[in-house]
Amino acid sequence: MNIIEVQDLKRIYHAKIGVLRRKVKEVLALDGINFSVSQGELFGLLGPNGAGKTTTIKILTTLLTPTAGRASVMGFDVVRDATKIRPRIGFIFGGERGLYWRLSGYDNLVYFANLYHISPDVQKKRIPELFELVGLGGRENEKVQGYSRGMKQRLHIARVLLHDPQVLFLDEPTMGLDPVGARELRQAIKNLQMEKKTILLTTHYMFEADAMCERIAVINHGKIVALDTPTGLKNYVQDLSIIEIDVFGIPHDAVERIQNLDGVDMVSVENRDQKQALRIHSSNGAGAVAPVVSTLQNMGLRVGNVIVREPTLEDAYVRLVGGEI
Amino acid sequence: MMLSKLRVVWTVFYLYLKQIAIDGFIIFTVIIQPLLVALLAIYMLRDIEGFQAIYVIVGSALTGLWSGTLFFNSFNIQGERWSGCLENIIGSPTRLQTVVLGKVLANLIISVSSMFFSYPIAVLLFKFRLTIAHPFLFSISLVMTIIALMSLGLVIAPIFSLNPGNIMWVNAFEFPMYILGGFLFPILLLPGWTTPISYILSPYWAARALHITSSGSTSLSDVLIYWGLIIFLSLIYLFVSSWLFRVLLWRAKEKATLGLQ
Repeated sequence: MNIIEVQDLKRIYHAKIGVLRRKVKEVLALDGINFSVSQGELFGLLGPNGAGKTTTIKILTTLLTPTAGRASVMGFDVVRDATKIRPRIGFIFGGERGLYWRLSGYDNLVYFANLYHISPDVQKKRIPELFELVGLGGRENEKVQGYSRGMKQRLHIARVLLHDPQVLFLDEPTMGLDPVGARELRQAIKNLQMEKKTILLTTHYMFEADAMCERIAVINHGKIVALDTPTGLKNYVQDLSIIEIDVFGIPHDAVERIQNLDGVDMVSVENRDQKQALRIHSSNGAGAVAPVVSTLQNMGLRVGNVIVREPTLEDAYVRLVGGEI
Repeated sequence: MMLSKLRVVWTVFYLYLKQIAIDGFIIFTVIIQPLLVALLAIYMLRDIEGFQAIYVIVGSALTGLWSGTLFFNSFNIQGERWSGCLENIIGSPTRLQTVVLGKVLANLIISVSSMFFSYPIAVLLFKFRLTIAHPFLFSISLVMTIIALMSLGLVIAPIFSLNPGNIMWVNAFEFPMYILGGFLFPILLLPGWTTPISYILSPYWAARALHITSSGSTSLSDVLIYWGLIIFLSLIYLFVSSWLFRVLLWRAKEKATLGLQ
């Protein structure tokens, strides 16, 4: 049974530009996307910034009106039946906001528990349980302004579980967390999946999506460019080898030259401290290494480590979104 | 369900008070500003024939009540937007109006306290003997004032949130109400064309009720008329508020302004 249904969903934003002669510019955030999520599934939505991930989640959580198309959660239409959807879902938008910093963690949960009409008896039992579940036991009476980013994020998880929702929308929940905090949060999300909760997750971390999601939709410029299992998505780059080369101070024309070499399918550059990591999708396996390195050296560039490896989900993602990360 | 809604109002009221009780801006608006207004008004008016200290003290307390109602409620929804909590509220089963009502009531309780801070300044500093002529009627008039400002607060909150830019106009509404509401001097001193504006403002009738019950120049029938007008106007304000909330939510979901602006 499908819990989330999205059909030809479209959303246009109107942005005003100019000062004296103001013009309205149309921004197409979603361009007729289609997908469905079945009960108990952990579904991932991947895409670069501004691709339409958060817009999709905001429409599904009844916070935004679609321009066209249809979306439903648990059989209820997101526009017509918003009041029926709200008690059944929970959502988190990444970051530290959305909490009352001058109140304690406990008061925050009491506040939101009342918004969800949870009786005081249930609150007394559930709130301490949730503090323990998210690892904030003993810190509940401290003001939220003193919490670290990770603690605030975990408080959000506790908040979203207060009313035991059947569907969860998690928009970059591990954003900005330290590795240990992120790992704990991922485990908490996996535990929720084992409880048969339906989860729609957006993330920028490919390994996270790979490890957690059963299916992933890659969205770019408001369109779904691929929808498959993580293994299925990796098959998009099965014919390729990935060459990673550390370079110091690479100019733009060097990227263009490498792009034109035989056997080079795509080139992307990622800044890593003082060096750049050149990632090359090669259809010629390790055979492309020598011409690439000699091209770089001929341009007087210092070349560091060179690695040839199997493609990952991130490589598939980079190919699908055309180099945008 | 009703009990559950009341619990939401109480929780919002209590936790919001907990957050704002020590806010410096609130202390200024509710305590210091009415004291300054009272001082100024006493120096300006005390040599005028027929000067009544209680009129000035009640009037300056009303300025504190109005300023509190205006400023705190204009930021009522905007504050939720800035803290990122507005989406969490709208996405919950509770209506935004219910949350806003809890905050309006908390704002009023804080603002009413300006009544108690204006009083000692007249007694201690100027040695005025202040007596309230009809304490019982005055108390009911105070409750009516709270009803008037509560309903007005429920109009102010959505108006200043309809467009995020509306908030910049808030200061422009503070002093006109002092004058049109007849807080410190009768509106008879104003040009005739302003009178109808005063008549549609419930704080004007609240000020009249408080002034005549405190100074003693009253008949019960006059006070009853003022109370009736306060209730009538408050019902109209609630109706307008309900419409404004519908427009606000529709626009916010259409223009994507629930998040930070």
